[in-house]
Amino acid sequence: MPELPELNPVVHGKLRLALLSLLSTVDEAEFTWLRGQTGSTDGNLGAQLMKLEEAGYVAVEKKFVQRKPQTLYRMTTEGRAALTEYVQALKQLLGAAIQG
Amino acid sequence: MDAMETQELKDRLALIEQMMHAGRRSTESWGWTFVLWGVAYFIAIGWSALGAAMYAWPVTMTAAGIVTGVVLARRKHKPNTTMSRAMGGIWIALGVSMMTAFPALGISGRLLDPHIFITMACAMLGMANGAAGIVLKWRLQIASACVWWVAGVVACFGSETQALVVFMVAIFFCQIVFGIVCMMAEAKGKKGGSYA
Repeated sequence: MPELPELNPVVHGKLRLALLSLLSTVDEAEFTWLRGQTGSTDGNLGAQLMKLEEAGYVAVEKKFVQRKPQTLYRMTTEGRAALTEYVQALKQLLGAAIQG
Repeated sequence: MDAMETQELKDRLALIEQMMHAGRRSTESWGWTFVLWGVAYFIAIGWSALGAAMYAWPVTMTAAGIVTGVVLARRKHKPNTTMSRAMGGIWIALGVSMMTAFPALGISGRLLDPHIFITMACAMLGMANGAAGIVLKWRLQIASACVWWVAGVVACFGSETQALVVFMVAIFFCQIVFGIVCMMAEAKGKKGGSYA
């Protein structure tokens, strides 16, 4: 029987997974847009985005637009690879669960 | 693996699909532009009928362009997707084509036959809607393109009044009605959820 894959714990967190999935569909996204899409609080969202940033899955850019601060997040190549691997592992685990 | 763990994994997979769908959908809120431009076409036609044909179209189209630009600039930042760029490209190209071809024909005095204006406008709008509909795999927009193309062909035959009526019917269905349907679909799709 083939060995079942481990799920990446950084990606597995519910909010982090939601964030990576959202960021995979766009070029870059503002903090407020991510908050609106996930319905999360500022504190939790900031903490989870920081974890993704520390893992190298998300890159952050801070700038001023019309004198207002804007924080933009985008998915890195490593982040995209991690999400792809996670989805493959998830499917493999689910397939094993259905067969088993 | 027990049933609870399996359910949790299924939930994670569903969450990925839901978020990806939400990310793509969030950039799609263009219904109002169809309604705005449809109303602008009607105003231009009505104004032309009152005898100011020389100014009606350039002024109305410029005003509609300014309103569109201002509303888009004031809108909250929305992220770009490959799809939104493709859609933007189609409509910007249409706008540039119309804003260059028609004034040039008008100023040079070669836009004397209204049938030509209506057929060209219908063909251009049909092309843009057709391209967008094919990219989005959206039958309603492809149907809208077909209405524009048919209107363009029909407008070549019959009197000027008949051609104008055909043009107005196409504007009503392909701009006003289509725009309202888009806006309703967009409003329906904006349902929230929390993943905190």
